[in-house]
Amino acid sequence: MFRTTRRKAAAGAVLAAAALALTACSSTTSLPGDENEADATAETNSVFADAPVASDDLILPGSTMEKIKERGTLIVAEALDAPLLSQQNPTDPDSVEGFDADLAKLLAIYILGEPNVEIVPPATETREAMLQNDTVDVVFNTYTITPERAEQVSFAGPYFESGLAVAVKSDNDEIKGIDDLDGKEVIVGANTPAVTAVPEQVPTANVTAFATDPAAVQALLQGRGEAYVQDYTLLASNAANDPSLKVVGTPFTKEPYGIGLKHDDAEFKSFINDWLLAIQESGHWAEAWKTTLGTVTDSDVPTAPEIGSVPGS
Amino acid sequence: MTAQLIPDRPAPARRSSRAPRYAAAFLYDEPGPQAKRRHLIGSLVSCLVFAVVVALGLWQFASHGQLDPEKWAPFTDPAVWQYLFVGLLGTLEATAVVAVLGAALGVVLAFGRMSHRVWIRRLSGGYIEIARTVPVLLMIYLMLFGLPQIGINVPTLWKLAIPLTIANSAVFAEIIRAGVLSLPRGQREAALSLGLRSTQATRLVVLPQAVRNVTPSLVTQLVSLMKDTSLGFIVAFTELLYRGQVLATYLHLLIPTYIVVTFIYLVVNGSLSALAAHLQQRLHRTGSPIPRLPRLPALSGTSRKAS
Amino acid sequence: MNPLIDNLGLVLEALGTTLLMAVVAGVGSIVLGVLVTVARVSPIRALRVAAFGYVQFFINVPLLALLLLAVFALPDAGLMLPLTPTAIIVLIVYEAAYVAEAVRSGVNTVAVGQLEASRALGLTLAQSLRLVVLPQALRAVVQPIGNVMIALAMNTALAAAVGVVELTAAVNKINLVAAQPILIFSSAGVIYMGIALAIGLAAGRVERKVAIVR
Repeated sequence: MFRTTRRKAAAGAVLAAAALALTACSSTTSLPGDENEADATAETNSVFADAPVASDDLILPGSTMEKIKERGTLIVAEALDAPLLSQQNPTDPDSVEGFDADLAKLLAIYILGEPNVEIVPPATETREAMLQNDTVDVVFNTYTITPERAEQVSFAGPYFESGLAVAVKSDNDEIKGIDDLDGKEVIVGANTPAVTAVPEQVPTANVTAFATDPAAVQALLQGRGEAYVQDYTLLASNAANDPSLKVVGTPFTKEPYGIGLKHDDAEFKSFINDWLLAIQESGHWAEAWKTTLGTVTDSDVPTAPEIGSVPGS
Repeated sequence: MTAQLIPDRPAPARRSSRAPRYAAAFLYDEPGPQAKRRHLIGSLVSCLVFAVVVALGLWQFASHGQLDPEKWAPFTDPAVWQYLFVGLLGTLEATAVVAVLGAALGVVLAFGRMSHRVWIRRLSGGYIEIARTVPVLLMIYLMLFGLPQIGINVPTLWKLAIPLTIANSAVFAEIIRAGVLSLPRGQREAALSLGLRSTQATRLVVLPQAVRNVTPSLVTQLVSLMKDTSLGFIVAFTELLYRGQVLATYLHLLIPTYIVVTFIYLVVNGSLSALAAHLQQRLHRTGSPIPRLPRLPALSGTSRKAS
Repeated sequence: MNPLIDNLGLVLEALGTTLLMAVVAGVGSIVLGVLVTVARVSPIRALRVAAFGYVQFFINVPLLALLLLAVFALPDAGLMLPLTPTAIIVLIVYEAAYVAEAVRSGVNTVAVGQLEASRALGLTLAQSLRLVVLPQALRAVVQPIGNVMIALAMNTALAAAVGVVELTAAVNKINLVAAQPILIFSSAGVIYMGIALAIGLAAGRVERKVAIVR
């Protein structure tokens, strides 16, 4: 038993870490359209239809891309318990749904021509090690780009920008945003950026960290805190699911998510950056957003962040 | 007389003729009519108190909406149970692997610690002391981060199983050693005087009795091991608690999911305990090929250590 | 530089919480464990069965699941306490089951003749438990109880999952910024090892002190 951690917002999954599919270690997710996934929805299909595929001359000899192509699967560190980002469907364990999950499949299509993804769920503290010892090829795990992390791993992207926001119980009219949290009991997810961001913004707030997102929501509803600070998209998903809480104000931080790569793999990094540009241009990036994160907000498709625009990327 | 004052499980209401009616019947006389009435009143009062507490809890629970049908409806879906069941298989697999390896290593360590050769004794003792006082979690982290740095990468199951085996072998060793120490020394001496070699005496005489004496501790440890496999979530190993976690985020239902997972652990581990207790009772009844000797009066283990 | 030393204040405060939980829960679980054992030899059948059920329940359910249920389900059952006390209470009731099992094995080492002698002397049930059975039983199980206490100290780490800022939660938080997992978690492991070692040594001392020399 033990505890732990997951990272970011997303799901907060603490206990999480691991798991995999049916057997010991990993599950190969397959694309809708495969013979074993006949029931895939048309909506999901639209994300992958006509997705860009890298031409052979981009797969440089001796590169990481070539290694992946020879293997025939892209090994990705991504969560299984991050709703809207990367969530395993317990009624259909082969399908992992969400924005991160879809982008990972799009990258697999780009390299391999088909969405062969093997998922290894990471714990927050194992992501760097997984890249360093070649357990995974890439990390799609709401991995915020920071200069400190960039000393141990390389980041492609950023591929998405989110931010922390505040959720309260629906009947709370007193708290309208982060500035109203002075002296309040504030709930955050363990191992999320909120752990450090909240004390920076409101030094007087009393922060309690819960390991998982459902735990944090439950704690908020039971009154263990007056506000819950978490990634905006995740809060939106919770609010859409449970009318007894609501998101107030707008995101007060910027969290640029990057794709984690082995340190100093410059070829692979520029290859992935080219792919990001390609899916942004082809509209696949926007389509992935619309069918996942976009389902819980009213806003338009956001502009993808500029590649390399963040220190550390 | 080798009566267990407190048996592994409460005696059934109807007991066979010779056995004392009460678990600890040596502690008090067979109750007379008055004492019986007092005991009956005591029983009724305790039952009533339990019932009231449970009912109050349930009532409160319902008033908070936790018993609403829609909160439990997902658990009528067989796919959900199948999902958890696969996690349970992972839990059982890891438990079995660690139990076998840990017990084997534990026997070696236990006898190593009682060896005549000083260096074997020190080595085994040192291993046991360190392995018992390092959190399994730390060892898992070392497996996860340390080994790959020296170029070794093992399958996921082993990232969990090796640290658990290291920790559990030390515990198993201590339990088995306690069992051996609890045996009258004469057992071994008699075996040797019959012409058995030292290893034969250990294998045929000492170990079987020692293990039987400590079966309850071994089972307790096995169950505790099964619970510890929930650490598998750190190394990306599919097990029950982790699948419960994924399910809770998917359903947005924390309390019902964990109640269900807790219930599954309770049923599985409880049956394991019950099975072991049953096996042990049978062992007690049929006995081993070697007739049981009367136990030495009182604390043989402690007194030997103190002497 | 070790990031734990850079954040010494936070680490020490968290270590204090860990030690507080370990000590309070340790004492509490020993007391409760002995009471449960006493219930298991009670002449009242309902108490015996309840004590047995208690031990079986807590020995068969993972601590983490209990912590989550206690923190999140108990408030809906009308019982809401701050986080650290909740975690301590869960640790007490959980580890008490293990203490009870240890004490039970100790009680089973007490020779039947001892009990018969105490009854022959006219001691009441309470007296023979207090003066004859428990003293001998507890002396026999100092090491096993020490092991339960070590496990308890390790298990305090799980409280991090329900929001208690103890050692593991604190180093996790530090790692989130510093991102040096090997160094940070190894250092934390050494601290836990130190705690376990202290408990082990204390148990050894107590055992030697109370051993019955025959």
